[in-house]
Amino acid sequence: MALKQVSSNKCFEGFQKVFEHDSAELKCKMKFGIYLPPKAETGKCPVLYWLSGLTCTEQNFITKAGFHQAAAEHGLIVVAPDTSPRGCNIEGEDESWDFGTGAGFYVDATEDPWKTNYRMYSYIKDELPKLINANFPTDPERMSIFGHSMGGHGALILALKNPGKYKSVSAFAPICNPIQCEWGKKALGGYLGSDVSKWEAYDATQLVKSYPNSHLDILIDQGKDDQFLSAGQLLPDNFIAACTEQKIPVVFRLQQASCFCSPYFFIATFINDHIKHHAKYLNA
Amino acid sequence: FYHMDLYGSKERFDIFPKELTGQEDRSLGDTRKESALSSEKFQRSQEAGYDLEKEVAELAKMYGLDEDREKELELLGGHLEMVESRWPPARTEKAGSQGSIYNASKSSSPMKDQSQSTKQQGLPGEASQDEEENKARAEDKAESHIGSGEGLSSSGMSDEWNSQAVSEEEAADVFCSTCKMPIRAFDKLFGEHKDHEVAQLPSAVESEKEEIHKNMCKLEEQIAQVENFASHLEEIFITVEENFGRQEQNFEVHYNDAVQVLAQKYEEQLEALGEEKRQKLEALYGQLVSCGEHLDTCKELTDTTQELYLENDKANFMKVKSFNWQGPLEEFLKKEVDLELSTLPDFEERVIDFSEVEQLMNSINTIPAPCAPVINPQAPNTATGTSLRVCWGLFSDDTVECYQLCYKPVSNERSSDEQAEHTLKVKETYCTITNLLPNTQYEFWVSALNASGISPPSERTVYVTAPSPPTIKNKKIRSCENAALVCWESRDMNPVDSYTVELSKLTDEENGDTITESIVGIPNCEVLIHLQPTQSYRICIRALNLGGSSERSEPVLIHTTGTYFCLNEDTAHPLLAILDDGFTIACDELENPECDLPVYDNSFTRCIGILGSLIPFPGKHYWEVEVEEDTEYRIGVAFENTPRHGYLGANNSSWCMRHIITPSRHKYEFLHSGMTPDIRITIPPRRIGILLDYENCRLSFFNADIAQHLYAFNSHFQHYVHPCFALETPGILRIHTGIAIPPWTAL
Repeated sequence: MALKQVSSNKCFEGFQKVFEHDSAELKCKMKFGIYLPPKAETGKCPVLYWLSGLTCTEQNFITKAGFHQAAAEHGLIVVAPDTSPRGCNIEGEDESWDFGTGAGFYVDATEDPWKTNYRMYSYIKDELPKLINANFPTDPERMSIFGHSMGGHGALILALKNPGKYKSVSAFAPICNPIQCEWGKKALGGYLGSDVSKWEAYDATQLVKSYPNSHLDILIDQGKDDQFLSAGQLLPDNFIAACTEQKIPVVFRLQQASCFCSPYFFIATFINDHIKHHAKYLNA
Repeated sequence: FYHMDLYGSKERFDIFPKELTGQEDRSLGDTRKESALSSEKFQRSQEAGYDLEKEVAELAKMYGLDEDREKELELLGGHLEMVESRWPPARTEKAGSQGSIYNASKSSSPMKDQSQSTKQQGLPGEASQDEEENKARAEDKAESHIGSGEGLSSSGMSDEWNSQAVSEEEAADVFCSTCKMPIRAFDKLFGEHKDHEVAQLPSAVESEKEEIHKNMCKLEEQIAQVENFASHLEEIFITVEENFGRQEQNFEVHYNDAVQVLAQKYEEQLEALGEEKRQKLEALYGQLVSCGEHLDTCKELTDTTQELYLENDKANFMKVKSFNWQGPLEEFLKKEVDLELSTLPDFEERVIDFSEVEQLMNSINTIPAPCAPVINPQAPNTATGTSLRVCWGLFSDDTVECYQLCYKPVSNERSSDEQAEHTLKVKETYCTITNLLPNTQYEFWVSALNASGISPPSERTVYVTAPSPPTIKNKKIRSCENAALVCWESRDMNPVDSYTVELSKLTDEENGDTITESIVGIPNCEVLIHLQPTQSYRICIRALNLGGSSERSEPVLIHTTGTYFCLNEDTAHPLLAILDDGFTIACDELENPECDLPVYDNSFTRCIGILGSLIPFPGKHYWEVEVEEDTEYRIGVAFENTPRHGYLGANNSSWCMRHIITPSRHKYEFLHSGMTPDIRITIPPRRIGILLDYENCRLSFFNADIAQHLYAFNSHFQHYVHPCFALETPGILRIHTGIAIPPWTAL
């Protein structure tokens, strides 16, 4: 699991670096961005994982979200992995923007031809943290996760499927109920097959219903004018209803901002709130 | 040996005339001089011994300085000093030892002289040397006026011999307590001391030294006593001078007065006497003159009659007689001749009024009535709430037996019930008056009294009693981690000058009796005190005025854990009730059918709300509100002057979280200027934490039960804000204060 540094830039007294490694889970070379706050030079820091949305690479977040200052202040290592395996030469991989490359959906595929490489769930859950913990001054006990859109979905399911693994979770315009939306149906059907009951294992709204009584503070920001919100791709109301039912604490903020054309303007606006949200639990 | 006696007792002086036979003519004068000299020398040696008493403790064993001698010494101190200055320092010690021997002989009575001399016979060479010495002495006497130093040297020498003689006995190593002398151990066994009690010489010496030391201490004490007495005598001396001088003056003045009065009386009497005499003489003279006139008239009439008698013309005679003569004569004869003395030769008895003189004479031996005393202005811190210490003084040296102090409260009302005057007799020039009213002005005046009378009263001076202790308004105390705002009220009608706050920081070990900080000079009934976080303090207030400070107020305890505020009842909507705990607000019904609820100026009129009174202090303030799930409410902060007729959050002077129940869900609004973000909260908070952070310009709301951040207003508060609470459905809100800021609110 050798790491190859691709780039390193000093940023807010810390370093924004990009590494490349050979992923055993995904059977391909994967890149990830990692921000090491100044505090990482002297001690172990908690890790906050960011999961990007459809079409994104590790670059989008680290170049556009403007999270560095808050991360530096709160002493958080922020890891931004890619959104799917790359260069696996699977047929149809690059045919659409919402499936295949850049659209791993953070599931472990069970269907051919995807099941060999498209194991983003396990990659994020196990391989990447191991790699990070092995190579950087981290505190393995303290990690949180957040993401945008498809990444928001990924963050929610990772948190909900692994109670206690993540101290906190938050999301920007997450796909809350993929089994009910077009994106989700396409991706889950593609990666998991036609058995809808299998999809439920990767559906946040479904997962909430079986989530044990373990404390998880969820923060969700949603742009009010988000095209995908009105298009019924995100379905936060379903998720909120489920959480209300299950008494899972969510603060859902419907913001006066769009998050379609340039979602990172929206993300950048509220990234500090999210960093603080996580820092509260990671630094408690 | 006898030369010692010679100096010690003057009776022995008669030996000198015998020795100096043939010089009888000089002897008288010599003897006089000698006596002077000898006493001088005696004193010299005495003095020297006195100086050295500590260093020569062994010798002082024999030193029988008695008290009479000491007094004598003191009286003649001046003379001694002169002699001392001539005394060569090198000889002082010898002189001392000599002096001590002198005293030994002096203290023993003349009858013992014999036994002493027999004792001394045991000392070889002593007698012969004494004789030599005596000769030298005699020579000295012959040239009595020559320097006394020589005589002294010889007496010093004699002493040297004395000590040599003593040293020959030094084989002694045991002390015989019975005979009080050192002996050889051998003597104890076989000699005359065989059955005597003995002690080892060193221990005997020790105990003797101790004894001597004790005696020395006693002597020192006596010296100090006598010195004190002497200085006291000096004082008395001066006092006597002064007193008699004053009395002389007094006599002079009074006798002069009396003499003057007498002289005046004399003048008056003399004048009156002269006047009487003049009047009498004038009266007598007048009478004499009228007698002469009468005689003249008589003579004239006689002449006329004679003339008529000699008239030959009968007719003419008759005519003249009947016309010119008959009438006047008859008329004249009709007049009675007044031969009574108009005045008596003796003078009137006069009562001379000596009463004035008598009074003057009487007053010579009595003292004058004193002058008016001068009352001092009030000294600071001499008053308590119920007592005053008044001081006064006299300018003159008047004799005063006592003072009459009067006082009454100063009242502006010239009403009929003139405040009762109180009068006290006081011996001293001060008095502490008790049972007064606090913080009240009293007028004082004082007169001095003695046997001759009473002085005029002093000027009236106003004193004021200290105020009553203030009362801290317990319910109005507000505090936070770093400060407390305490207010109180004065219990007196009159204003006080200032207040002092006394702080005691309470620790586990102590119970806070020590004042750790005082804040003085507070003009108002309110103070913001800076404190340290998470401590307990006991706070008391004192009120101060010119007279002093009041007792401490009842203390209050303040804990600087979290922020503590109270509800401002004045702002409460009439339908809002504050329960007994002071922190639970309730609303039973939204509309009052009677519609005539009292509305105060400051109370909310539309929104069923109330303001808290938060301490105006920067930093962070946290409190919690416990709500029922089905209660609709608005909670947050507002400026003190937020419109009372509007809803909280509907204007730009209030920020609040609002809970509304819709048919589908719990709805939460975070309102400021009527605007709210669209926020969905999945768990309805039961206990809402509110963090007001002036430093970071933020007002945050939390679900305190699960440490969930709900929303934060970012606002730069232009003024200090107060907590605000309102109910929109019947229900209750429980407010919790004094909670330490939870760590999870930090982000």
